Amino acid sequence: MSGIQVLSDIGWGILHYIIFYPPVYQYVIIPGFAAALIIVIFIIWFERKAAARVQMRYGPLEISPRTGGATQLIADLLRYTVQEIIVPATADFLPFILAPNIAVVLALLPMVAVPMTSISEYWPIPMGYSLLIAVALSTLSPIFIVMLSWASNNKFAVVGGLRESFVIVAYELIAVISLLAATPMTGTFNMVTIVNDQLSGRWLGLLNPIALLTAFIAVLMSTSGFPFEIPDSESELVAGPYTEYSGLMYGLNMGAAYIRRWAFSVLISLVFLGGWAPYRPTPGLVTGYLVPSLIVTVKAIIVMAIMSFLRAVYGRYRLDQALSLAWEVMIPLTLAAFGISLAEAYFGVVP
Amino acid sequence: MPARPVIKRSPRVTFLGRAIAGNLGALIVGVKYFIDPNRITLLYPHEYIKLRQGYRGYIVLKMDLCISCSSCARICPARAMKMLPVQVKDKKTGRIMKKKYPVINYNRCIFCGYCVDVCPTEALYHVPYHDIVYFNMADMILTLEDIQKEPEFITAKEGVPVKYVYDEKRGLVKVAAEEEGKPPQQTEKSKEGETA
Repeated sequence: MSGIQVLSDIGWGILHYIIFYPPVYQYVIIPGFAAALIIVIFIIWFERKAAARVQMRYGPLEISPRTGGATQLIADLLRYTVQEIIVPATADFLPFILAPNIAVVLALLPMVAVPMTSISEYWPIPMGYSLLIAVALSTLSPIFIVMLSWASNNKFAVVGGLRESFVIVAYELIAVISLLAATPMTGTFNMVTIVNDQLSGRWLGLLNPIALLTAFIAVLMSTSGFPFEIPDSESELVAGPYTEYSGLMYGLNMGAAYIRRWAFSVLISLVFLGGWAPYRPTPGLVTGYLVPSLIVTVKAIIVMAIMSFLRAVYGRYRLDQALSLAWEVMIPLTLAAFGISLAEAYFGVVP
Repeated sequence: MPARPVIKRSPRVTFLGRAIAGNLGALIVGVKYFIDPNRITLLYPHEYIKLRQGYRGYIVLKMDLCISCSSCARICPARAMKMLPVQVKDKKTGRIMKKKYPVINYNRCIFCGYCVDVCPTEALYHVPYHDIVYFNMADMILTLEDIQKEPEFITAKEGVPVKYVYDEKRGLVKVAAEEEGKPPQQTEKSKEGETA
């Protein structure tokens, strides 16, 4: 056997069993890390430009006026990568360094539990209880934000972490119940079945808009989107839990919230907005895996763009206002949404 | 006709009305501005505000008109203007004689324009721009040659003149100002044509 043959075999093996191995592919490429990075860069740029348009400003412009400053975020990323990382002497070193990385890694974990196609060859895990698993994995990451704020040993960081923990406790129940409101109508936790049922055109977001709304607001709360940008409110706490971070570590922290928002957007677009709904996957790597995953990605980008647009419109709630909204309004509304799902399932209004 | 007060029933009385009307109103305004933005930021080196003729900018001396009365130096509240004695040749008699002319220190000047107002022969006048840079503080103390020259308006070479006008629907709007010189000349010519 010639050397070229061996090399090409190894290359085929790497391509087939590592890069296009569905768990790795979904975690690292689409909709995981690489896609998330590109989309986060785009979304932060869009957020700044949209807020500037609404608030009578220009936003990032000077770096490339023809594209409206689109390369600004790449320049920022470069700056973050070459900036010095300072660890304060009073900080707890190991959690201080590890917690942001773990937060980012765990924020992407729900990507491994979601299907991007209906062909079982390309599922990352067996899809029997995938909705439950994805929702459960999405709740892991915020704990480490509390941890890093505690490790920073800084007043602002501790207060920010405290607010974060308050908000976590408030939003998790809403997010979980409103995402699980899909189960009575489809009768399963299998996300492939949930999406395949929505191929009829009756998306769950249309059948149960209240569940979509509550899921949307819960995601905003969890990722400190704008009406609920409480943990890292600039004007009160310097940068919230991330006060002591600099350079790439701050970039990681800032990206972690957006990556979590991205993961939730993919979940919402799969559960409520039909996933790859107008398209029926056919066997083959491109038509069976790439195209449906791109459709889901586009839908999730639209959800994320709407979330980012709210920065331009809303001010910031106080902590007590947000918590009272969560516990007094949102949780009854979420339970009502679950009840609507049950009623629709009972009366046969199912996708 | 005096404005009649219109009494509307506010939808924001009940909790649900407040939640729906407030959020929807904010979102509609946001989407409206997102689709049709009204940007009023001045992109300074690329645009500049075209100021009118009466603007109190830099001060220039017409040396021929100056009668050395020292009113400008005396009225200057910041003591930026000083009279400088120089040897000049008198036009009528042809004798060399000593005369005082104003010079200005822009470290101190507050651009109040009293010197221009008080000048009996209108030998001092303002130029309608103020964006000029000096390399150091010593350069800001002008000599008699410097104060007679109009300073160079470098922003006008690269920038586009704009002005802010009030629009009834959209509030303050940034619009492009007319090209300098052409429209006023045309109006002057037309007036001359009418009179002649």
